[in-house]
Formats: sequence, C-alpha cells, structure tokens
Amino acid sequence: MEENKTLLKIEDLKVSFFTPAGEVKAVDGISYTLGYNEVMGIVGESGSGKSVEAYSIIGLLQNPGKVIGGSIEFEGEDLLAFTPEQMRLFRGNKVSMIFQNPMTCLNPVYTIGNQLTEVLNCHDNNISKKEAYDRAVEMLKLVGINNPEKRMKQYPHELSGGMRQRAMIAMALICSPKLLIADEPTTALDVTIQAQILELMKDLQKKENTSIIFITHNLGVVAEICDRVSVMYAGRIVEQGTVNEIFYNPQHPYTKKLLASIPRLDEETVERLVPIEGTPIDLLNPPQGCNFGPRCSDCMKICLRKKPPFAEVGEGHISACWLHFKDMIEKEAEKDE
Amino acid sequence: MKAPFAKFSPFHVDPEKVMKTFGIEDDDFNKASDAEKESMVEMHKSISYWKDALRRFRANTVSMVALFVFIACLFFAFIGPYLIPYNYADQYRTSQKLGPFEYSDDEKIARLAEGVGDGFYATAIRPGSITGIDPGNYCFRSGGKYYAFTITELTDKVIFILDRDAADPLKLYTETAVQNGAWADYTAISFSDTPAEGATQLKLVRKVFPHVFGTDSSGRDLMARTMYGARVSIIIGVVAALIVLIIGSLYGSISGLAGGPVDFVMMRIVELIYSIPEVLIVLLLQVVLKDPLKAWFDANSDTSAFVRAMSDLGAGIVSIFITFAVLYWVTMARIIRGQVLMLKKQEYVTAATALGASNGRIITKHLLPNCIGPLMITTCLQIPSAIFLESFLSFLGLGVSAPMASLGSLCSDALQTITLYPYRLVFPAIVLTIIVLTLNLVGDGLRDALDPRLKK
Amino acid sequence: MASYILKRVVGSILILLLIMVVTFFLMNAVPGSPFLTEKSTPEQIALANAKYGLDKPKYVQLWNYIKNYCKGDLGVSLKMQEGTPVKDIIFHQGKFELSIKLGIYALLLAIIVGIPLGCLAAYFRGSWLDGLLRVVTTIGVAIPGFVLAALLLIVFSVKLNIFPTRSENLPNFKSYVLPVISLASYYTCYIAKLMRTSMLDAINQDYIRTARAKGVKTGSIILKHALRNSLIPVVTYLGPVTAGIITGSFVIESTFSIPGLGKYFVQSVTSRDYPVIMATTVVLSALVIVMMLVVDIVYKIVDPRITLTAKED
Repeated sequence: MEENKTLLKIEDLKVSFFTPAGEVKAVDGISYTLGYNEVMGIVGESGSGKSVEAYSIIGLLQNPGKVIGGSIEFEGEDLLAFTPEQMRLFRGNKVSMIFQNPMTCLNPVYTIGNQLTEVLNCHDNNISKKEAYDRAVEMLKLVGINNPEKRMKQYPHELSGGMRQRAMIAMALICSPKLLIADEPTTALDVTIQAQILELMKDLQKKENTSIIFITHNLGVVAEICDRVSVMYAGRIVEQGTVNEIFYNPQHPYTKKLLASIPRLDEETVERLVPIEGTPIDLLNPPQGCNFGPRCSDCMKICLRKKPPFAEVGEGHISACWLHFKDMIEKEAEKDE
Repeated sequence: MKAPFAKFSPFHVDPEKVMKTFGIEDDDFNKASDAEKESMVEMHKSISYWKDALRRFRANTVSMVALFVFIACLFFAFIGPYLIPYNYADQYRTSQKLGPFEYSDDEKIARLAEGVGDGFYATAIRPGSITGIDPGNYCFRSGGKYYAFTITELTDKVIFILDRDAADPLKLYTETAVQNGAWADYTAISFSDTPAEGATQLKLVRKVFPHVFGTDSSGRDLMARTMYGARVSIIIGVVAALIVLIIGSLYGSISGLAGGPVDFVMMRIVELIYSIPEVLIVLLLQVVLKDPLKAWFDANSDTSAFVRAMSDLGAGIVSIFITFAVLYWVTMARIIRGQVLMLKKQEYVTAATALGASNGRIITKHLLPNCIGPLMITTCLQIPSAIFLESFLSFLGLGVSAPMASLGSLCSDALQTITLYPYRLVFPAIVLTIIVLTLNLVGDGLRDALDPRLKK
Repeated sequence: MASYILKRVVGSILILLLIMVVTFFLMNAVPGSPFLTEKSTPEQIALANAKYGLDKPKYVQLWNYIKNYCKGDLGVSLKMQEGTPVKDIIFHQGKFELSIKLGIYALLLAIIVGIPLGCLAAYFRGSWLDGLLRVVTTIGVAIPGFVLAALLLIVFSVKLNIFPTRSENLPNFKSYVLPVISLASYYTCYIAKLMRTSMLDAINQDYIRTARAKGVKTGSIILKHALRNSLIPVVTYLGPVTAGIITGSFVIESTFSIPGLGKYFVQSVTSRDYPVIMATTVVLSALVIVMMLVVDIVYKIVDPRITLTAKED
C-alpha cells in the first residue's frame, strides 16, 4: 500500500527562540510521521508551537528562532542538512504552504497571474511564458475561481478574502507538491467561506494526492478534514490519534478539556461549556513536570516533578499523561489480587 | 487503519519496570494540592509599557551615547559660558584674527607675568568694548586688600602682576608702558583696606585663558560665541518644537476626534498649507516681520516679562517662532490625527465606550497615553529641523543678527573668510552637526523604544 | 486618470493663485520701497510709484498681477534690472535653466544613490556594511548643505584644486560636481535611511513569507517583492525633496557663485523688487507643485491599490 510509506518523519524536534529575556522553547521535542496522501491535523491553543513546528519543516524559521535538536526527514532526505539553495528549490515545489491571512499574504503590487507563474519560473527555468500562463489559468479553474483569465490580470486588493485564499491554494499547489502545510487557512475567513475552502481542500487533496499538515485551533475544522490529529500543548504533543479516537475517546486531560470547551450540536443532553482554568505556561520558564500540570484538575505529585512519557492507549493512539501509568499500575494491582 | 506509532509507544511494558526507570514512588500518584500546583507556576513578571520602553532605550547603546553627548552639548551651551572669562559680545581689539590657542602680544606678556608671581590680567576690562578701557576710577580685591587706581586716558589693556616677594607687590602696566613685549616700566598703585568710593570693581582673571576656537575679525572669542550660538540654536529648536507640538497636536486631535465635516475642512486647510513651498513664504515672512517686531519690542519692552524675554531673543528669532507657528505644524497635525483616528477604531476604546466611560475618561485614559509615543518622537525630531531652518535663514542673512550669534550665523560669518580661516567654520559646524546628530539618534532610539512594531 | 490629472491641475492653479495673494500681501507688508535710496526725494519716489502703478489701490494692483499672469506677462523689474521684463530675466538669462539643471541632477543623484544604498543596508542588516552606511547616512542628515558645500570647497577647490571655486554658469562637468553633491547629500542620506527602514518593514510582511514559501530566490525576493513595496514611502517623500532641493539651491548657489533663480529670489526679496519676488515665488512654487503631481502619478504606478479617481486620506 503506497499510502503507508512514510513521507515525512520528524523526530524529537526542538526549536528555540533566543530572545533578550531568555531562551523560549517553542517546540520542545516533538515526533511524528506522516504518510503519503494523509491529512494530519495539529491542534493547540495560541503559542503552543504548532506554527513554529511547521515553519521549521519548510525552513522559514525567522530569527531569533533556531532548530536546536532532532531531525526532519522528507522522503528519506534530511531537511536540516539542506543548503539554503536546496531548501529554496524544495520549497514551493515539494512542500508548499498556505497561511492564515490571505489579505496580507499576497503581494499587493503584483497581479495574481504574475504571482502564480512566478512559482513555476522559480522551479523550472525552461518553462515558456505560454505554458506557465496556461498552467496558472488551469490551477485557478481547479480551485474554483470563475473567469480565471480576468483574475490573472487583477491585483489582490480587487479580490475578496475567500477568492484570495483560493488563489493562495492555487499558488501552493501549482507545482503539485507532495506536502501542503496549511497554517490556519480558514481562521481569517467568515464561516460560510471557511466551509467552502475546507470543501475545496478536501476535494483537491483527493484529486492531487497531496499530504496535508493542517494547523488549526478549531476542532470543528479538524473533524471535517483530517485523518489523524496531534494535540499540542506548550511545545509538546500531548496526544495523537485518529480523528475518531481523539474525538470519541480522548485520553489526555487537556484533550478532554479542549473537547468539553466547544459546543456540540449532536448531543442530546444539554451541557454547560467548560472553560479550561488558568493560563498557558510561561515558555521562558517552563515547569519541571508536565506542562499542563498546573492547570490540570487531576494533577498528581509526579506530574509536578517529571514530564510524562507517551503511553499507547489505543491502536495508533498515544497520550502523554501520568494518569495512564496510574491506571496501568492499579490494573496490575487488581490482577495480582 | 494505519498504525505507524508502534515505535513511539514503548510502554506496553511491565509497570514495575516503568516505576523503576522513572524513579516513581507510590506517593507520586496521589493528587497534588493546589498549593503545590501554585508553586510550580512561576509566571515571569510582566513589565509595564514605559518600563519596557525605558529598558529598550537603555539597551540601545548608540542612543544612550547620543543622549550623553547631547547632555554634554547642553553643558557646553548653558554652563560653558560661566566657565570661561570671555563673553560672546566682547571685542578685544588686540586679539583679532587669532587661530585656536594663539595668543595676542599682550596676552603673551601676561603669560610671562604669570611666571613671576600671581599674574592678573585684563584686556578690555569687562564688559569689553572695542574702545578698550574708559578713563575712570577702578579697584579690585586681592589677598584681602583693595587696590585702587585711576585711568586718565583711554587704555587698551591693563596687566597686573602681583609679586608677593617684592616690597611693592603690585605692578600695573598700561599700553604706554609695554613695548615689544618688554615690561620693565610700570606704575605702582596704592592699596587700601576699604574699596574706593565710586570705583568700578574689576573681576580679574588669574590666568590668560586660551582662545580655544580662536577669535574672529572683531576680536571676539569664538568659543564663547560658539557656546552662545549653541544656546541660541538649542533654544530656537526646543521652543519651535514646542510650538509645533502644541499647535499640531491640538489641531490634529480636534480634527481626528470631531470627524465628519469639521475634519474634512480642517484637513483641506492642512493640505493647502502642505502644498505651499513653505521656505519661499518663510523668507518673505522673515523680512516682513523683522522691522515691525523690532519696533513693537522697543515700544512694549516694559510691559511684561514675556515680552522682555522675547525682545532679548531678538526680532529675528521671534519671527522664526512665528513662521513655525504658522507653517510647520501641519506634519505634526497629520500624525496626531492619524493616531487619534486609528485609536478611535481600536476595540478597547469601543469597549470603554460600551462600558459607559465618559469622553474625558476615554481621552485621558486611552487616547492620550497612546499618543505620547508619536508625540515625543515627532517633537524630538522637530528640534533638529528647526535648528536647520534657523541656520539656513541665518546663512541668508536673516535670522539672528550680530552681536548675537547662532550656530547658523557663525557658519555663515565664517564662510566669508573661509579660505583664510577655515577653523572659524569648522568649530561651529561641528557643534551644529553634533547637536543635530545626537538629537536625531535620540529620536530614533525613542522611536525604537516606544514603538516596538517599527523596530528592526 | 485623465480626469484626476485635470482635477489636480485645477487644484494646483488655485493653490498658485492663493500663493500669489499671500505673496502680494507679504511683500507689500515689507517696510520700504524699491525706489528708496539715499539720494531719492519723495517726489522722485512718487513719480516712480506712478510709473509702475504702485500708487493704485492694493486690490487693483493684485488684480493686475493676476490678470497679467493669466496672459503670461510677468511684469517688468523695478530695481534689479530696471525696465527689463521679468520673464526675460528668469527664462532668457539662463537663471531658470541653471537652477533646473542643478535641481534635476541633485534629485537624480539622491534617487540613484540613495535607493541602492538603502537596499544594501537592509539586505546586509547587522553587517559592517550596514553599520558603515548607518554612520554615513546619519551624519549626512546632520550636516547642513551649506556647511558641506563650504567644506568641499575648501578641500577640493582651495587645497587640492581639483574643482573650480566658482561654478558660475556651470560650463562643464567639473563645475557641477561640488554644487550637485552638496545639494543632494542630505536627501541622498535621507532617502537611504528611509529606504532601509521601509525595506526592512517590507521584508517582515506576510507576502515576503509567502514568496519564500514559494521558493523564490533571495535576490528576487528583495528586488521584486520587497523593493517595489518599499519604494512607496520613498516616492511620497520625493515631493518634499523637490521643495527642499529648491530651498537648498538658495544657499548652494550663493556658495558656488552660480547666478541661478534661488540666489535671485533672495536678492529680489531684500531689494523689494516686487514683480521679481512675485514671479520667482510663482515659478518656484509651480515647480514644486508640478513635482507633487508627478509624485502622485508615480505613486499610482508603483502601488496599484491607490485609485486616482477618488481622493483618499
């Protein structure tokens, strides 16, 4: 099965920002793999390190951010060992990215057509103007922009938000990349447009056989589009599993709380929404134990002392919480009795 | 189902082993108390905006150095004149056209006298005048005694030498007594314990103070003039910037707050003034205002301290202030209006309005504190531009007039003799450049510190 | 576009009219008379006043100015070159041409040198080159033009004798060098600083991140994506630069003994030659206003978001 082969493998990735106030461990040792044609959702609140992690894959980390440990392998190649030029050829060609705010992500002084064909020109020196133009028009059609020839000549400010995000997607997919990183692509759009864009991405993912890393804080969006989900908290993955597992059988207290804090229409009983108490930790000065410990209602003594390792709690479903070990030990004890 | 995670879940293992590996004790699985949880949360202290800005400004080495250099310039301009024995307006007839650290002939004699005993010397007893020392009775004090003498005819220079070992301790040289640097002849003067009636008391200088920057063609000490000029230039810069600040910020905030047709009309006026090439008008204004102002000052100089202060500055400088008040506030008004408009739209202002805060509270609590940054930056950068304009006008022969000096007029005077005495241009030009440079750097530093968004 | 330009031209004419009115009242407020000399008697002055229409009521004089200007008649000089038409003085004695040449070369120098320097500093930010350029440009905006002119004159003309001390009618390339450099230095440095800031600002924008994500070459990111966006503040600054260069030419022309319009304007103000004051003010103002218009049109070309039909704030 082709899709079982690994496209992207991240191991113990650590990214820090060296600010005047000290080192901020934005990503503190995360690992996962992504198969071909797979959609992975990365969920977490603001500042949990989900975007930083994505930027380090595509080599767009800005100063003072630095990858300080771990490895990123793409089709068996070590991305961290790439020269800047290799990285440039890699970007937009094999991996591309779409961003949160389509209003500011397109260059205001160039036409849509210019910006679309630029990607092709950057990755293929021999492509003719006509070929590039045709391909760009084709892509605009593919992302559902009507009258593409007219749009090619227009400037970003003449397009609506949804239209611009479509153009961004067309730009990202124009070289048929193997991996698309979508950094909150629907957050800045209004709800109906959000749904359209999600539909389009789902559609294109199937047509183009692209793997997607979908970064969002919106659990609803995750349920819509992803195969698997990683939940991040303060620079670490706390739980990872298939969409069904995460939504219907969450194991980590943080995931449980997260799910409890969103409204659900499918439940019969009316429940109060429960906010997560406390504020995210200070990444400049992370706690010694579990990052979520101080906010966790089931926090144990060990949680304040040591970071929890992963426990496999279901098929392909892992969770980093000491509670699982407590359960395990209790079960063992019962067995013994 | 995919199962790519087998390798990440190594904990199918014996719990005992896990416990051991991680050094877990049974107690560890008991619930942690809230206090324990609290103790783990060490939030790093949040710093207030101003403290943070101050920290950023302090961390900016260039701006800090610039600030210190500017403070040094302030000392030079405001304290300096009290430390040197020369005055900006004194003309020493025998000390014309000296280079830096050069001495005139009689200054050389006085320096020789220093070798003998305590030399006291005065050329053109203060306050100096081109005609030297007027005839009359004079006295001075030394060693607890008063010495009195009379000058019967116009004298250029007077050198006193106090020789404690000699029987007659004091010698007075006047021009007639000194020939070619020889100082054999002298007139002894009498002394008494009480000051002579009606005599002018002289302040004497223990040592001949060097003309550090040289002197000009009228025998005025250039360092004294440069200090004075720097003072005038800084005052012009600061006052002009304050005028611009007051008018511009009032106009801008009224326009921004009022909005609607008021804003429209007010901004059209700003645009109109903005598109007029102001320097042409400034030149005309300068010429127009000079004489009427002078006449008005002469007529009204007794009415109030304010008018007196203005008339001390001179018509040229006051007309510079007026031109700033008329034409130069538009940039400030635009910046403040933009800021007010932007702030008005901010959610926290809307929130405050929704919570029922009064207009006054919104202005003082939300709008003003957020405008202070741009206000400070623009004002700080306005000072050098005012200094520039003044020097430009002085160069064209407007602005301040002799014997008053500004850095611009000093440069402009120096240009006439530039080929012979280049140092006359160099010193005031360097001081002018340093003042403008440091103010620019401090302004840049302020901007970086107060507006982190603009940083990098 | 055409209707916008038309609208702006009409607006400019109105501004020029306003400037004429202001100038008229200002110059009439200057004490003294163009005919007042040590020898002149009141009768002579009255005679001269009558000859040139200065005895008429002020509003009639003003109306005459406006009427004649519409016809293209700038009047005759009262004092400096008595009886000569002002138009001839300005346009046919080479004054206008000299000032324009000097101004255009200085403007070009400021743009051609300032923009690349700013780009270099931004691209190599934090390096020694950036540091050096920062020092040079910061000092450059702190030295008044006339001081620099004098220093250049001393070093290169008097001591080294490379360039002439008096540029006069700008006969050759050498005579241009020092005046143009002194006139342009402040603006070159200012544009370089402005360019650096706005380039760095542009580099931090989202669309640059997009371009990087697309795999665009670094050089192309700077030259294509960042440059055009960062030119926008520089273009808006060109209006004030023109005004400043004209102003600066007043002092530069007198330092290098160039008989240009700027020098002539200053002389006309001090000698109260009313028609000359009016004509030079209007011509110089018109220059600045035309440049402002050009800047707005260039602005439109650089930034497609600006619509010239509707005036935006």
